[in-house]
Amino acid sequence: MFYLILWLSKTLNFIINFLRLGAGYTWPGHVALNLNPHIAKDKHFKFPMGVALVTGTNGKTTTSKLLTHILETSGLKVTHNGTGANLLNGIVSAVLLDMDWRGGHDSDIAVFEVDENNLPVVLEYFSPNVLVLLNLSRDQLDRYGEVDIILEKWLSAIDTMDPSAELVLDSTQKYFKKLPEVFEGDITYFDGDSTYLKQTSLVGEFNAKNVNAAVYTAQLVGIGDESILKALKTFNFAYGRGETLKYSGKSWRILLAKNPASFNNNLDIILSGEVGADTLVFVFNDKIPDGRDVSWIYDIEAERLQKACEEKNIYVTGTRGLDMAVRLKYAGVEIKKENIFETIEEAVRKVGLNGSAKDILALPNYSAMLQLRKVLTGKAIL
Amino acid sequence: MSSKKLTIGYFYPDLLNLYGDDGNVQILLYRAKARGIDAEVTHINVETEVTEELMDSLDIIFMGGGPDSSQKGMYRDLLETKGNYLKEYVEEGGVGLYICGSYQLFGKYYKSADGSMLDGLGIFNVYTKHFGNHKPRCIGNVVCEVEEQIKSDPLFKKINMVGNTLVGFENHGGRTYLEKGAQPFAKIVTGHGNNSEDSTEGVIYKNSIGTYLHGPILARNPHLADYLIAKSLGLEDLDKLDDELIISAHTASKKLKQ
Repeated sequence: MFYLILWLSKTLNFIINFLRLGAGYTWPGHVALNLNPHIAKDKHFKFPMGVALVTGTNGKTTTSKLLTHILETSGLKVTHNGTGANLLNGIVSAVLLDMDWRGGHDSDIAVFEVDENNLPVVLEYFSPNVLVLLNLSRDQLDRYGEVDIILEKWLSAIDTMDPSAELVLDSTQKYFKKLPEVFEGDITYFDGDSTYLKQTSLVGEFNAKNVNAAVYTAQLVGIGDESILKALKTFNFAYGRGETLKYSGKSWRILLAKNPASFNNNLDIILSGEVGADTLVFVFNDKIPDGRDVSWIYDIEAERLQKACEEKNIYVTGTRGLDMAVRLKYAGVEIKKENIFETIEEAVRKVGLNGSAKDILALPNYSAMLQLRKVLTGKAIL
Repeated sequence: MSSKKLTIGYFYPDLLNLYGDDGNVQILLYRAKARGIDAEVTHINVETEVTEELMDSLDIIFMGGGPDSSQKGMYRDLLETKGNYLKEYVEEGGVGLYICGSYQLFGKYYKSADGSMLDGLGIFNVYTKHFGNHKPRCIGNVVCEVEEQIKSDPLFKKINMVGNTLVGFENHGGRTYLEKGAQPFAKIVTGHGNNSEDSTEGVIYKNSIGTYLHGPILARNPHLADYLIAKSLGLEDLDKLDDELIISAHTASKKLKQ
């Protein structure tokens, strides 16, 4: 049965790739789980050096990508769900697609980014050697509910975890105070110290935390300082999380801003001058992966928002671009009617025609980031 | 009431700001100041001692909703200490906007799915029931129309730059029912409203509004924001602002899927 599912998954993936069906990455895992809900407990899902899980509201893609990069730099082979498909089906896909047709894989270790709401489900199937908990903050209340509800689910799932596992936690998170009460194993704490951050091309305090989380986890796995430093220097941004794309002679830096915490973090980066920009483009959607309730933009700190926009060209687009424009107005930002666009394509074209827009910084939420990247690179990522 | 200064009493700002409702206070300040009206916020937390004098200084009261854990943190204080002041304020015609969780707490009671009862302040003649897993949460975009009391108010007619519709977003597990005599705040066009049964949204009693609308509610409903400002200061009109952008956001929202 396992081999049937494996072959089916691999064939399905082949077809998806062949037909260029974007966003098909979760399908093989989805089909596999339908045929065998416990497939992730199969012996083929074991790794010699174990599994590291990375979760939290913000930073999980960057942290798991950096951790994977450190492990690979040290010569290990890593299975990693690098496309951002971070539910159980995406993780199962990542493992199945890394296998050969005989069900063998030569990965030493697995690093999985896990959706914060899906963590309890993933913990039922994987016993991680290291579990990295980055943070919890308000995000997509219409889908996930309140932070307290997610925290309760985490606590009861972590309570049943094998105490030989290690937790890696942000020491500054108020929501994490209860974790030592339910977990008897070792806990390693990280904070926003910027020593390791300075070795990378990343900026901002929240990235300092992501970097420290990845470095401490690598150390727990036994990676030496030399490999870690080499990896930090050669790390490239995760897509849409600080990367810069060139588009008709202009440079577009994309900073994913998908909830109040990540938005405020990005405003801090702009205000600190660590990232120069003469133009800000707000791209704001209300599709299912974004959360359909746009109210949270009023939790973006008004004063920081207004200061970050000062003396810059301001453009707004996305399915709820008008809502973002109103939010900017109420924060005291002057927004020109002719700089509000219904479609991202049109906004990108108009910014392209503006001679004073050279260093562009885009702040999109999730689906907006995927769409914007598609426009700027001419292709979808998934 | 003749002094042109707007003081907003913002109750439990740290505990009851779950859905960006804080934006309502920012918007009231913005729109008052844009008319040259001096405006400020008085934060009233659990530890704040409320006096007659403090209550008299408030022109408008705002209160949002919060997660269960936060509501536990202010519930006793609201019921045992501040409730009577709020009751008197509302009965005397004080202007107020109470969203979601605080709207529920201003009602007579909240009955949980397990049958347990939580007393409310009984200011609004409504009660709320949670049906547990038997009924889904009420989540989605809302379009509704203000009911008679506001619609027929000459002040509202005068300042209204949008029309009678209101737009917003709702996300509530409890369903609220109006008792006899209670006046709904608005009539649902699309969305669940109070209980997804009787097309009512919120309640209006004297000059106090209870509603489920987030968005925040005042963001895309500038007519309601101005009505509250003018009403609370006893003004007969307000200078026009450049609301073109906000009106287009309101209009676009009317076409959103529920």
